[in-house]
Amino acid sequence: MISLGHYLVLASFIFGIGAIGALTRKSAILVFLCIELMLNSVNLVLLGLGFYMKSLDGAVFAFFVMAVSAAEAAVGVAIIVSFIRRRRTSSLDAANLLKW
Amino acid sequence: MSTLLMVCFLVAAFTAFVGALMLVFHSRPMAAALGMVLSMTAFGVLYAMLHVPFLGLFQIIVYAGAVMVMVLFIIMSLDAKEEGPEVGGLQTFTAYVAGLGLIAFLMLTVRKSSLGVFPSVEKTFGSIKSFGHLLVGNYAVPFELASLLLVGAMVGAIVISRRRWQ
Repeated sequence: MISLGHYLVLASFIFGIGAIGALTRKSAILVFLCIELMLNSVNLVLLGLGFYMKSLDGAVFAFFVMAVSAAEAAVGVAIIVSFIRRRRTSSLDAANLLKW
Repeated sequence: MSTLLMVCFLVAAFTAFVGALMLVFHSRPMAAALGMVLSMTAFGVLYAMLHVPFLGLFQIIVYAGAVMVMVLFIIMSLDAKEEGPEVGGLQTFTAYVAGLGLIAFLMLTVRKSSLGVFPSVEKTFGSIKSFGHLLVGNYAVPFELASLLLVGAMVGAIVISRRRWQ
């Protein structure tokens, strides 16, 4: 029998893997994708808890998270493209203008 | 029925897990992004198993379709060279400690909480009709704000990616 715990365990594993990726990856595009992965695992928690509470509010919130992350994807990809055009690399080590 | 659902869940969870590992650890950006596609599709299946099948469809259409096609296009056109080994040293070590600690902490929280099996719901739960009523009823203002946000993001993306101001 599938319980809520299964979904929560899976979501926390994916969230942790996404966090490791976001901190260790060099390419800006892949860091961006890791953050999207973390957003999706949070969506899974929202849907699971919504189903557990017999309420659709979690699904509505997950829907809004998806809309916001689609907007984020558009702006993020535009920023990454202009960054790659200017620096000729997608490595985040090249983003050092504000480095102390 | 119950074992079938369990098998479905395990297959989808394993696929999502493998896709996530590919995204984080594969050295070629293209393969990593394809791992993300795999993971997103498995997430769509999991959403459908949680009684919101249309959100699973959105997931596959919007993420595995639109967003990932855009990202793959960027990788193919701009970022074709292979990524070398990751930066070693303190940053990677800290990242692993932080990530694994986060997983351990979340596991502990899930274990401590007394959450049981899912309740049985009526057939209409999660239907697109009730979802739509909720979306334009209770959540009408956030819904309109989301449309505003999407238009703003569209204009912002065009402005950012222009070559120069004229």
